Amino acid sequence: MAIDSMKIAVLVSSAPYGSQGASSAYQFCASAVQAGHKIVGVFFYQEGVLNASQLVSPATDEVNLPDFWAKLAIQYQFPLEVCVSASLRRGIVNETEAQQLSLNQFNLKAPFVLSGLGQLAELSAGADKLVQFL
Amino acid sequence: MIEKKIGIINRTLPHGTAFGRESLDLTLAMSAFNESLSLFFIGDGIYQLLDGHNPSESLQKHYQPLFKMLELYDVENIYVCEKSLMQRAIAQSDLLIDVTLVDQQRLKTKLAVQDQLLSF
Repeated sequence: MAIDSMKIAVLVSSAPYGSQGASSAYQFCASAVQAGHKIVGVFFYQEGVLNASQLVSPATDEVNLPDFWAKLAIQYQFPLEVCVSASLRRGIVNETEAQQLSLNQFNLKAPFVLSGLGQLAELSAGADKLVQFL
Repeated sequence: MIEKKIGIINRTLPHGTAFGRESLDLTLAMSAFNESLSLFFIGDGIYQLLDGHNPSESLQKHYQPLFKMLELYDVENIYVCEKSLMQRAIAQSDLLIDVTLVDQQRLKTKLAVQDQLLSF
């Protein structure tokens, strides 16, 4: 069975808990890489930026989706890009932004990185498929 | 490499969620990198273009003036579902910006030619 390997970009628009979209996005990515496709990057926008919070702390018998994302991205070496403007509106902040905004804390989880919507344009241009999860 | 055609579909009311505002933010940002964007306003999404919003009383951002930027950013393919307008008794002249009205068939054709679709 020869399937041509595809370059796939993923857009996540929903939160890690409360709706299923982000879980489906994660499962899609995990299945895609196992099937031999390449995830060129995952872009988090709208409520999706909440996936990048290192403060997400569900009960131990539940799924911690930010942890899952981090492990998968490290294992398969794809970037987790988070829209900076959508993030700051929702309280997702990295160390640099926290300093600039004189905030006492930051909460962006590694290896998520804050980036701009231009990065989504770049992912879109470089991918065979762009798949959005609402 | 041929630039990908990207369709951005707007289906939600303007202020009950941030979908409309974040769709427009995305559109304006993407327009700097891609000149083949098409916007689609379908169903309740057309209310985003109905002139005269005043959302500050409900603590929402008045993003409607930013629709005027689309022309400046050369986003010219703006398609509005004719049926959705009729169902809501809204005339094209009530809309904030110049748009192209499309019937169901044309809408399907326009959506089908896009390489990528984003939905808000």
